[in-house]
Amino acid sequence: MLGGNIAILGYGLSAIGPGIGIGLIFAAYINGAARQPEARGMLQSIAILGFVLAEALAIFGLVLAFVFKAA
Amino acid sequence: MQLMATTVIGRLVSEGETTPAQGLPILPNIGELIVGFIAFAILFVIVWKKVVPNLEKAFAERAAAIEGGIRNAEEAQAQAAAALEQYQAQLREARTEAAKIRDEAKEQGSAIIAEMREQAQAEANRITETAHKQIDAERRQAVVSLRGEVGRLSTDLASRIVGESLHDEVRQKGLVERFLAELESGAIRPEKVGTDSAGAGA
Amino acid sequence: MSSDVLTALGALAASGSGDSYETPTPAEFWWPLWGGYDNPWAFTRPSLVLLLSVGLIAWWLVASTRKAAVVPSKGQWITEQVYGLVRNSIAKDVIGSHDFLKFVPLLFTMFTLILVNNLFGIIPPIQYPTMSRIGFPMALTLIVYVVYHVVGFRKHGFAGYLKSMIPGGLPKAVLPFIFVLEFITYYVTRPLSLCLRLFGNMFAGHLLLLLFITAGDYMLLHGSIGMKLVSVGSYAMAFVMTAFEILVEFLQAYIFTLLTATYIASSLADEH
Repeated sequence: MLGGNIAILGYGLSAIGPGIGIGLIFAAYINGAARQPEARGMLQSIAILGFVLAEALAIFGLVLAFVFKAA
Repeated sequence: MQLMATTVIGRLVSEGETTPAQGLPILPNIGELIVGFIAFAILFVIVWKKVVPNLEKAFAERAAAIEGGIRNAEEAQAQAAAALEQYQAQLREARTEAAKIRDEAKEQGSAIIAEMREQAQAEANRITETAHKQIDAERRQAVVSLRGEVGRLSTDLASRIVGESLHDEVRQKGLVERFLAELESGAIRPEKVGTDSAGAGA
Repeated sequence: MSSDVLTALGALAASGSGDSYETPTPAEFWWPLWGGYDNPWAFTRPSLVLLLSVGLIAWWLVASTRKAAVVPSKGQWITEQVYGLVRNSIAKDVIGSHDFLKFVPLLFTMFTLILVNNLFGIIPPIQYPTMSRIGFPMALTLIVYVVYHVVGFRKHGFAGYLKSMIPGGLPKAVLPFIFVLEFITYYVTRPLSLCLRLFGNMFAGHLLLLLFITAGDYMLLHGSIGMKLVSVGSYAMAFVMTAFEILVEFLQAYIFTLLTATYIASSLADEH
């Protein structure tokens, strides 16, 4: 009954790392913003940049999942 | 890795053989890619030539207006401060002036009082002096008239004693005067007149 | 595998009257308007949407800024808010106040175009995020790619630009290794991730919405009573995901513009 594609498992695996990474980035951002509320604006753009870099890996995973599914 | 590369390349190569719907979602449809370029180019030119210059102009004008407003406000504030300073200076000046005037008035007042007092004193002195002088004069007059009287009386007395009028002779010779002068100078003791009648004849 | 897709298409062609539920596939993003279904040069719906968005944005921007005044009108105020975000908190903060103004038109065009096209993904009559077709983000990425390399070569010269990729103060032994890494970053990873991030977010988000809605439809129309109740949950999820999509769409437009500015800034930087 269990169907699907093994590529989706690959995507699931590739999402673990970025998930942890993004969590760490925003934890650090919240910490920083709580300690120094005046630095919030600066921290925000840095946090988003970090989030974006970590997210890229998950996006690669997603895209590659489709590549292999279609192949 | 090797497998992935070969499959992807394989798909890329075989792209032409499949329908576009079956194609990989990560492979661009050339038509859409070109439309993307065209769309971006159109919008970019419009933004570049029209929108951004207009907005930048408005921003610059606004910044200038705000700056001008701030400068005006600063000027007004400076003016107000200057006026306040001026008023305060004037007030201070007026206060010192008033104090000076008050002091002067006080001084003048005391001077006037002193002067008045002096004048009054002088007047008093003068009056006293005049009175003294008057008294003196009166006394002198009294002395003179008394002397004349005494001379006349004594002459009358003497002429009554002598029997003939000595008046003219006495007047001529200033006998009484001399006698009285001698009496005043102390050369003849008044007691001697009473006790020694011979002395009067000497 | 291709038979899978064909059955999916068959199910789709039968407009959901089939007996079994087929999950939405990437094939559903292929939506030609003119030129026939199998013609790769067909004029597609997202192309039309993109051109429509260009017309809409251009009209709005020109209309709201033609008489740009010191005291803004309501339309000008809205435009200025967006413009101020791109100009001050992206361009000025990232590139630096010296020569950011040159790149503001590029960044502002990127931001508005991506934002409006992303938002089209949930706006009812269109409901198709243009950027979920990789051709469009790829076009934008290629423009960014060319721009930041040209800016770098102009600023540093050919050798100087290659040299500026390497961070200073490293031991000589690791320099070649670092150079290769940085080279890959500049020439492969950056454009690839820039393009795929925008595409992937829009594609996956839209696919998710499709999944919840088609599944809800299927369960409501073909399921038993219990399944009909579950379909309510599916629709609710679709609603929640739509709200989430708004956030993602805005964020992706912001990120694309921010990264463009960052790449230009790193090409302009004197020392890496």
